[in-house]
Amino acid sequence: MSTLTKITTVESKLFLRDTTSAVMTFALPIGLMVVFGSIGLGEDDPEAGITKAFLPVMALALSAALLGLSVLPTVLATYREKGILRRLSTTPVHPGNVLAAQLLVNLAALIAAAVIVVLLGAVAFDLGTPSNLAGFLVAFVLTATALFALGLLVAALAPTGKAATSIGMLLFFPSMFFAGVWTPGDLMPSWARPVRDVSPLGAGMEALQDAWNGAWPDGTNLLALVVVTVLAGGVAARVFRWE
Amino acid sequence: MPIIEVTNLHKVYGSTVAVDDVSFTVEEGEIFGILGPNGAGKTTTVECIEGLRRPDGGSVSVLGLDPARDRAEVRGVLGAQLQESELPEKITVAEALDLYASFYPSPANPAELLADLGLTEKAGTRFEKLSGGQKQRLSIALALVGNPRVAVLDELTTGLDPQARRDTWQLIEQVRARGVTILLVTHFMDEAERLCDRLALIDGGRVAAIDSPAGLVARVATEQTLRFRPSSPLDEAILTALPDVTGVSRDGGHYVVTGTGNLPYTVITTLAAHDVVAAELRMDQASLEDAFVAMTGRSFEPQAAA
Repeated sequence: MSTLTKITTVESKLFLRDTTSAVMTFALPIGLMVVFGSIGLGEDDPEAGITKAFLPVMALALSAALLGLSVLPTVLATYREKGILRRLSTTPVHPGNVLAAQLLVNLAALIAAAVIVVLLGAVAFDLGTPSNLAGFLVAFVLTATALFALGLLVAALAPTGKAATSIGMLLFFPSMFFAGVWTPGDLMPSWARPVRDVSPLGAGMEALQDAWNGAWPDGTNLLALVVVTVLAGGVAARVFRWE
Repeated sequence: MPIIEVTNLHKVYGSTVAVDDVSFTVEEGEIFGILGPNGAGKTTTVECIEGLRRPDGGSVSVLGLDPARDRAEVRGVLGAQLQESELPEKITVAEALDLYASFYPSPANPAELLADLGLTEKAGTRFEKLSGGQKQRLSIALALVGNPRVAVLDELTTGLDPQARRDTWQLIEQVRARGVTILLVTHFMDEAERLCDRLALIDGGRVAAIDSPAGLVARVATEQTLRFRPSSPLDEAILTALPDVTGVSRDGGHYVVTGTGNLPYTVITTLAAHDVVAAELRMDQASLEDAFVAMTGRSFEPQAAA
């Protein structure tokens, strides 16, 4: 077994043993789907500009944001704070392997959450499946990379695990607002819409909803996601310290 | 060939000189100690040996390799136990050992190592549930799992209770018996005295002296003190007449005799010749701490509970 495989296996076990991350990743989107699906929020509302893509996309975008902005940076900053990355530096294995393993584990968790959400929507609430699958996958990958890059930036800047959680939450709530989680579609005030189109979670949700409804994601949304990935990832790579 | 060779090591952090000028060699199979107060530059010195830091001056060689340049090779033969380094809370003892074993080309058998360190019963226990002593033993196990030729152990027993400290010392002697050369960093005098074959006393980023613990003490040990209560009245003159005795004083019912050479033997045989038994006999000799004070001209700092 290669070193990365071995580390990823161990990190997956640790991820699943941590109740908080397991609940955030799986229970929250499922709960949202069940609660809002049952009260009929999942149906089309043309007057408000809301489609049935909104509920499943919101559920999986929340998973992505929690994993990327909270779980990933908290674990990495804690590993650095506790000297775990430094300890690895004294072995023949570079601590970068742990970072890579964490990205893989969080990505796997996100994919699992997305599959659960889509299946649940299709089977239990008649929400259908993404009509433009290729577009949906592109939007999904770019949303994940943008949020994970932001997470790496938080991990790079936060001195401790607790600080990483706090910074992650500071990013999470405005992201939810500008993504239109509380004000979907045309309910969002007009002044906030330009921010929605380029904020990572907003652009991601727009792109995912467009693809779910059969269209190609808007270029502005995709470009915004790429820019966030490159900027946040680039700065994170420059300032990240192993100790 | 020395296993570790440090020559005129110099390391600066910003405007602070952490290590000014440190040189020493560690021979194969010995337990070499680096002893000094907090902030003396001990950890920085070993971090340069471990390849975690790059020296600003001087050179470091481990088995003829440069830790900064030949990182991979040095990491394959050197096992490190770091000060204040933890593991993920939810990893089990067996998982951690197994994972670290996978990093090395010819690792030790994790199960045997667990047995040697008395951790077999804890194999399935998560790191967060281990006691301080158990965490420390696991940390030593991780330093040894790659079958290193050198183990660098930094502040091994800080924070342990007295029993756990003694157990750990015994363990270190077992490790050396397996043929591993050990570089031990400590600020505990008793630990250095008990374990080390040779010691470098470090103060203010410089080496004050290098010798065996007994050799260091002998450098400053000019006087010994005997204190006892004589079983029957004693004429001081029989003691002051002895060539080894430099002074006799009384402290209540006790006598305090200072002197040089083979003082205890001379005093006790003389007392016996006069049918006096020395009760509550206590002897004070210079300790490593006295040696440190004499060589650096300042007292050893109070031991901070790091």
